[in-house]
Amino acid sequence: MSTTQNNKSLDQSYWAIVKRQFQKNRVAVWSLRMVYVIVFIGLFADFLANDKPIYCKVNGESYFPILKSYGVALGLTKYPPEFSNVNWQEISYESVIRTVIPYSPQNMDLKNKDYKSPFDDQEVESTRWRHFMGTDNLGRDVLAGMIHGTRTAMLVGIISMSLSVIIGIFMGALSGYYGDHGLQMSRIRFWLNIIFGLLGVYYAFGIRGYHLSQALANHLGFFLLQLLLSLIILFSFIAIANVLAHFLKQISFLGKKIDVPVDILISRLIEVKVSIPTMLLILSIVAVMKSPSILMVMVIIGLTSWTGIAKYTRAELLKVRSLEFIQAAQSLGYGEWRTIFKHALPNSLSSVLVSIAFGVAGAILLESSLSFLGIGMKPEDVTWGSMLSSARGYFKAWWLAIFPGMAIFITVTIFNLLGEGLTDAMDPRQKK
Amino acid sequence: MFKYILKRLTYFIPTLVIISLITFGLSKITPGDPVKLALGNKDNGGDAGQAQEKMANEKAYYEKAENLGLNLPTFYFGLGTVAEPDTMYKIVKRSDRETLEDLTSQYGNWDLIQSYFYQIKKIELSLFDIQTDSTVFENMKEIKQKLNLLYLTSDDFDINNNLNSLLKNSVNNDKLASLHAAFLELQKSYNDVKINATPSKNYIPSIKWHGIKNQYHRWLLGDSPWFFGEEEPGQVKGFLRGDFGNSYLDGRPIASKLADAIPWTLMMNFISIIIGYLISIPMGVFSAVNKGNAKDRISTIFLFILNSLPSFWIATMLVTFITTDEYGMNWFPTYGVGEVDSDMGFGEVFGIRAYHLILPVFCLTYGGIAYLSRQMRAGMLNTLGQDFIRTARAKGNTEKTVIWKHAFRNSLIPIITIFSSIFPAIIAGSFVIEFIFSIPGMGKLSLEALTARDFPMIFTVMMLSAILTLIGNLVADLMYSIVDPRISYDK
Repeated sequence: MSTTQNNKSLDQSYWAIVKRQFQKNRVAVWSLRMVYVIVFIGLFADFLANDKPIYCKVNGESYFPILKSYGVALGLTKYPPEFSNVNWQEISYESVIRTVIPYSPQNMDLKNKDYKSPFDDQEVESTRWRHFMGTDNLGRDVLAGMIHGTRTAMLVGIISMSLSVIIGIFMGALSGYYGDHGLQMSRIRFWLNIIFGLLGVYYAFGIRGYHLSQALANHLGFFLLQLLLSLIILFSFIAIANVLAHFLKQISFLGKKIDVPVDILISRLIEVKVSIPTMLLILSIVAVMKSPSILMVMVIIGLTSWTGIAKYTRAELLKVRSLEFIQAAQSLGYGEWRTIFKHALPNSLSSVLVSIAFGVAGAILLESSLSFLGIGMKPEDVTWGSMLSSARGYFKAWWLAIFPGMAIFITVTIFNLLGEGLTDAMDPRQKK
Repeated sequence: MFKYILKRLTYFIPTLVIISLITFGLSKITPGDPVKLALGNKDNGGDAGQAQEKMANEKAYYEKAENLGLNLPTFYFGLGTVAEPDTMYKIVKRSDRETLEDLTSQYGNWDLIQSYFYQIKKIELSLFDIQTDSTVFENMKEIKQKLNLLYLTSDDFDINNNLNSLLKNSVNNDKLASLHAAFLELQKSYNDVKINATPSKNYIPSIKWHGIKNQYHRWLLGDSPWFFGEEEPGQVKGFLRGDFGNSYLDGRPIASKLADAIPWTLMMNFISIIIGYLISIPMGVFSAVNKGNAKDRISTIFLFILNSLPSFWIATMLVTFITTDEYGMNWFPTYGVGEVDSDMGFGEVFGIRAYHLILPVFCLTYGGIAYLSRQMRAGMLNTLGQDFIRTARAKGNTEKTVIWKHAFRNSLIPIITIFSSIFPAIIAGSFVIEFIFSIPGMGKLSLEALTARDFPMIFTVMMLSAILTLIGNLVADLMYSIVDPRISYDK
């Protein structure tokens, strides 16, 4: 109490208080710093462990092979002929700057294959080339795999969580704000939207299914173009429905208002999702895919883990919507979307923020157990989970059992600690 | 109360219908041919030597498909286009149907496409009549291969390529003269398809009603009579009457595979939950009572770490370090549930099983302990802060009585309900732990089914776990009102 009185100048807004509370929690602050480290490693994984040099000079010409590799991956440039299909480690450079770990996770060091322990005598030129965390059966460097695994973990966190946050907040906000009686529309608008929505799906995805699948098989760019076209078709159908409804609702029978039971529908949807075990659901969706990949697994995790956030958002909005400032916003004549997104949602974000932190931990854990089982993995993919599972092939390789598992554990713990810290900081009882 | 249960049970129906539709839909869009899987994935359409053999293969395929009910329409109704025929579902072979569908959505003239496709089939059968000798052997091999490719492709470029290659291989060869003519005919009919294309037909939707003779109905409700009449051979009872069908993988009834697997998972989960409760309840109470002092902080940190330890990592570490001779600690078996003979006594069997199950049960349990203790601690703290505890203390009760008689019972509510989550856990199993320790339980069974796309099995597991989850939720709600009489559902 005394501190607040002494510092009258302190910002007393909700988030400022939360921030101060958070900063008092040493553990939480440190876990936030660790998150920055993880993000840094993930972002710059290519510059930390790579068989390509950062900079090199060959035949009097300078190259930046790693930067170049991004261009090649995007299809913008090509490698000069002397670099196509070469072993980057065997080129004789005039001068070269290598990454800290001079191996890519996919690099097979044939001289050090069949599980070289970190403490074994490794057949390397110098300490610079040592495998500090050993190698696996193919001679792939474990440390390089760990570094690039960080990127996978980071992507899991970002991709799955942003998907589940977007879907979860949207669904939760709709069902919490409108309830079963809050959303009213004219009879004709309701039915036209359903009919034209179905027709739109039919024309956009049913008939164009062939083109879409062809495009997906050929080129991702074409596919996105075709997908955009499909979405345009879908939305124009819905637009037509609403324009028609606007005119037709003048007829009194068609214009009669009806309630749309948003809450029941969304709650049912959540119940359906919750009654199938997540792992089983994800595995069966992966089983349906022709060529599953880690990216797909991440998207599926995102699409299947939004229910928690939706539940929190719904509960918060149920609380918030009866408060006076929302009624004030409504009576000022603000549009419903503006009321929801500018006034109701920001006041219920705190619990969502906490569930994001825990959600990231859960998603990383889920993805690593999936890649441990080999789900959605291609042979050349290296993640923490896949490295851990390769330890099962050879019990002598303790380094394969310890390091990747440790990485998963630390990352999961950090995000759990962050979640705890946020919970404490937002708990009004903790305010001092 | 009875009315409430009845009301909840009726709510189950829409949820279960949606889940059954989702699983059924997933199985329909899965790549791969279920009939081939059920036949043991023999390639029967490929290079069969004789015409008769090919016919026999084809016949076996159709019989199997009929047996599995795959010659029926998929659903009660189908949303398609005018360009597609009503009887598309009768083309059982999945690859054929997909090619035909793709061709139809490009050109939209079913009759011509159909005759083009029949021509391929006719030529393929006529291939067997041609006497092959060494002079045309290479050409024939090429022709057979390209002809098979024609079955699979709907892409204009690919079809033209294959047709040209067919013509090139049969040209200027007396023995293949009749084939060459047939290929020319085929090319003509393909060009006919392209010239007379009516793609606009694809934009007119049409709804086709198939009635109750469809795959979904057969799977869920069966096609044998419900009350009167005898079941004819080939009819099934359906999921709701307990007929889960046969696994595609080994042809065994799914019910019997489940009966083999469930006891393992049930036992492991049951033991782990009992141990979990026995350890975590006193631990939670202990740390709540000692809130804030060193003991509580240590146990909180310990539980937090335990909660974040991935169980598949711990399992891998345990298997690596203490089940092999590599590190001199060969204390436990690496995997499996052990071999038992029928003449062993109960004690001996129990010993072997227990020895094998210690590690997997440990891995299942420790995470639960952490979770349950934290819940128990939170519940206890919440109760201890309430007025009636202060009253109990004011009455002069000893601290022990207050904690165990007044507070303990009331803080049990949140963690009792967790017990209901055991039901779905039994069906879904614990994939990773069972996978690591090779326990023949539900998790391993479902994992095998999923990697092999054995959909009858996946259906069953999904539906059963959904039903059990719903029942578990209901039981949890009922337990609330039993533990806490203030909660009542009859209003």
